[in-house]
Amino acid sequence: MALIDYRPDAMRCTRCSYCKWVPLDLVKSWRYAKGCPSVEHGRFHSYSGGGRLITYLSLLDGRSEVTDRVVDIAFKCQLCGNCDVTCKVCRYDMEPLAAQHEFRFWLVEQGRVPTRYESIIDGYRRRGTMVGDPNTLVGDPQSDGLRWARDLRVKDLNTDRGEVLLHPGCRFSYDGGLGPVARTSLEILQEAGLDVGVLGAGRCCGGRVYHMGYRDDFTTAAEATLAAWEAAGVKTVVTLCADCYHTFKRLYAERGSSVEVVHMVEMVARLLAEGRLEFTEEVPLTVTYHDPCHLGRQGEPYVPWDGVEKKIFGQAVVYDPPRPRYNGAQGIYDAPRDVLRAIPGLELVEMERSREAAWCCGAGGGVREAFPEFNAWTAAERVEEARSTGADAVVSACPWCERNFLDALRGPRGGDGTGVAAPFQDSGVAAAPAGRGVAAPGVTAAADAPFQVFDVLDLVRQALPRKGA
Amino acid sequence: MGFTPEVYKLFEDIVGPENVSDDPAVLDSYAFEVLADLVRPEQSHYMPRPVAVALPGTTEEVQALVRVCNVHRIKVKPLSTGWYHFAAPQSDEHDTLQLDMRRMDRILEIDETNMVAVIEPYVIAAQLQAEVMKLGLNINVTGAGASCSILASACAYAGQGPMAYWMGGNAENLLALEWVTPTGDVVRTGSLGSGAGWFAAEGPGPSVRGVCRGTFGSRGGMGVYTKCAIKLCHRPGTTEWNVHGTTPAYRLPVDDLFRVYTLAVPSWDAWADLYYKIYDNEIGYIFHRQFNLAGANLAPAFWLMYNDHTKTLGDVEWMAQDPAVKELTEEMRISFQFIMAGRSTGDIELQDRVLDALLQQVGGWKVERFCEDDMAEFTNMYLQRLGHKHINYVWAGGYVGTWMQIGTPDWVKNYIPIASAGLERDAADGLLVQCGGDAMMGSGSGFPGGGVTGLEQFVSYDANDLESTRAAVRHMEDAVKDAASHGLPPGKEGLYLELSKTDEQVHAELAAANQPAIFRFQRKIKDAIDPNDIGDRLYATLPPEG
Repeated sequence: MALIDYRPDAMRCTRCSYCKWVPLDLVKSWRYAKGCPSVEHGRFHSYSGGGRLITYLSLLDGRSEVTDRVVDIAFKCQLCGNCDVTCKVCRYDMEPLAAQHEFRFWLVEQGRVPTRYESIIDGYRRRGTMVGDPNTLVGDPQSDGLRWARDLRVKDLNTDRGEVLLHPGCRFSYDGGLGPVARTSLEILQEAGLDVGVLGAGRCCGGRVYHMGYRDDFTTAAEATLAAWEAAGVKTVVTLCADCYHTFKRLYAERGSSVEVVHMVEMVARLLAEGRLEFTEEVPLTVTYHDPCHLGRQGEPYVPWDGVEKKIFGQAVVYDPPRPRYNGAQGIYDAPRDVLRAIPGLELVEMERSREAAWCCGAGGGVREAFPEFNAWTAAERVEEARSTGADAVVSACPWCERNFLDALRGPRGGDGTGVAAPFQDSGVAAAPAGRGVAAPGVTAAADAPFQVFDVLDLVRQALPRKGA
Repeated sequence: MGFTPEVYKLFEDIVGPENVSDDPAVLDSYAFEVLADLVRPEQSHYMPRPVAVALPGTTEEVQALVRVCNVHRIKVKPLSTGWYHFAAPQSDEHDTLQLDMRRMDRILEIDETNMVAVIEPYVIAAQLQAEVMKLGLNINVTGAGASCSILASACAYAGQGPMAYWMGGNAENLLALEWVTPTGDVVRTGSLGSGAGWFAAEGPGPSVRGVCRGTFGSRGGMGVYTKCAIKLCHRPGTTEWNVHGTTPAYRLPVDDLFRVYTLAVPSWDAWADLYYKIYDNEIGYIFHRQFNLAGANLAPAFWLMYNDHTKTLGDVEWMAQDPAVKELTEEMRISFQFIMAGRSTGDIELQDRVLDALLQQVGGWKVERFCEDDMAEFTNMYLQRLGHKHINYVWAGGYVGTWMQIGTPDWVKNYIPIASAGLERDAADGLLVQCGGDAMMGSGSGFPGGGVTGLEQFVSYDANDLESTRAAVRHMEDAVKDAASHGLPPGKEGLYLELSKTDEQVHAELAAANQPAIFRFQRKIKDAIDPNDIGDRLYATLPPEG
């Protein structure tokens, strides 16, 4: 596809602005009705899903030119996909998220990218991972990316063959602050009797460079990884990272991969359902689950399609053969919740914006790397929402979300996070009678009460039978 | 005079540089508007491009911007959520500053006791409804749906919709108002003007609701409304909002005090009779002919497709040929949706018995498939929130409403055959969506308690297809002629087509209107309140005298 292929989407946009909100049926309060971090931060209509369609229509029509503002519009967005979900509540002929990807590819080809992108992509090409940018990213790419597996007997699929690959992803490999999630996962898989191996450190899925608009760099990474999988005889990849999950499940599949892709929370849910895994230890916490964009609304399986637009009933626009409809309906929402609900002593409460309507953690689309202030702003908003549920902790199934929330609470270097204010704390619903269901006054993400951040696998580890018990 | 870099700097000084832009691509995202392609030269999707867009955060900032524009003779066009070409600049000849009101997005007060909410322009209906429902209250969500500004619906547009039958239209529900006039003065109307709070529109204090709204609503053509109070209504039943289901067809459980039906009748005479009987018996809560927007030939297949998330639009083609669906299509050819709410179990049970008796009297029936739990919950969700209004564009991204003249049911039923024949004729060449001549949708009543109704013909065209777009324009023109040939005034298409005409044409038409005195009087108001003409002609007036 090319940008011009999305011209019909722009022409058929009605500027309804649904893309700025969560699906309107799901609005439960003034406070948490908004769904698009980009337009809430950038404010002008151009920063919304529909606004971007019109922005590049204007460019294609020769009515405007690529300015610094246009570059900002194109890249200051997490590509979280909320706009895609809300647009498709009513439309079958629009692909706002795919169009935004194409907008970035188009600008990258012209060399029109945000200022910080050049050093970021240079770093990626040198290190082979997005982790480790000295300014914005926590993690140490110089470390041994397999240290989490130390003392465990595990196949190295660089030299051995095995059907199941555990892929921890860059962040769990290099971000030592995220805890022993990868190690726990490996132990679970081994105890379940799976023939599991690892491919060693430094193998980035390439998803993040794809989202930044560097399609060629992604293709290079994907081809290398697919070749390694094939050489090792990999049939199933189990990943701990929602970004990797989406990359393997959708982007690699688009390039011909038939390898089964499973997120570790799906695997745990499967093992629990089959009675092959049991939780015995109480975890006395009230938690709320944050749906990662790439596991939730964008976690739908890839469906091959090579078709054309056609018209029925005179002018109704349909596709021949039917075009797959990625609208968040079939994302991975229940598996992590099933796992959490199975943990003794743990209570799960929901945020208003959940499942396909989840507010993004802020890290995606190159935003964590290139726009740290916007990234932190977005994360603070989610942390605030999580706290509003009364939960003790927010739990996710993606290390990028987890890292972002930790940074929002404590600062990227372990500080107190006081530089991060929740975006909407100064406005809201006021003067209603107390105690009648109106949103609580805003609090910052760095309020006094201790609030914790976990990966689902952190809690799984705590709930597993004590070794030797 | 006009827009210059120095003026831009003045805008920046008022709202901050981060809240103003003159980047052409940004400005085009405001110029691009739905329906522009039906009224602009060469079917362009762009209305006139503003010279800048500013995002004021306070009434004082609005006031300051408007005053600068007065000095430099720049027109001012506010938008809140900004759906439809009315929200864009209207003049190619004059510089226009677009005000995007999104920073003014607060619910300032919910007065539960007096059933009043005070809001800013960018509060959308879904937000306010969600908050007031927690208190057992509700608002009238207008026909444009839950994504739209309540303030705009009340102050600048007609403000009617499916809930107006119970709650009143928002033009009626508008209470006190804060208005930055075109000269930059702040007028506080009704009780607010005398410092008595927000509870009343007509005093004690200046009673200018009719002045600032005009006949239909000024559509952003007469200053900027910065705050308003809106009347709330009691909502029976639960205060919980327990939505469930899979996107896109979310579902809302039907409370014990509610009933959700799709009703059908054998003829348009029976339809009119049933409407009168519903009015007279004072039953019902939300009253709308909603699902027929997909066209009487395709509506059942379309909605059954929509409720199955594994299906897509193309499936409607074969589903419509399914014998069971064909039977259903005939069963609900003349149908509408009807939600009743009782104040008690006895009340709702009585309404149920009354409805059954009325159906028997007119030979009507409940459409069983659409009253089953899944479709009833979907209908309940759809009409309680009106969060799917963008589905108006589902066929091909282009939709224009024609007809919708408002009158008694007997009067409305008489134009249905004309409107249906007109759409069948104009869609025969395949340039408009062919979904049956009757794609007529509309509220059971635009006013509380009933009395009058109106049906809008849903004309769908491909907004990415020039020939289809031109066919939609021809249909609009044909609808005006069809109406005139039967002694009827233009419908919605007349309002839309107005934007394609010159000032002279518009003024001539207003002068020839049945009640031109209204527009002569509005001219006097315009001269007094907008002496520098920074508003636009959507505040309808005759030309300046002399």
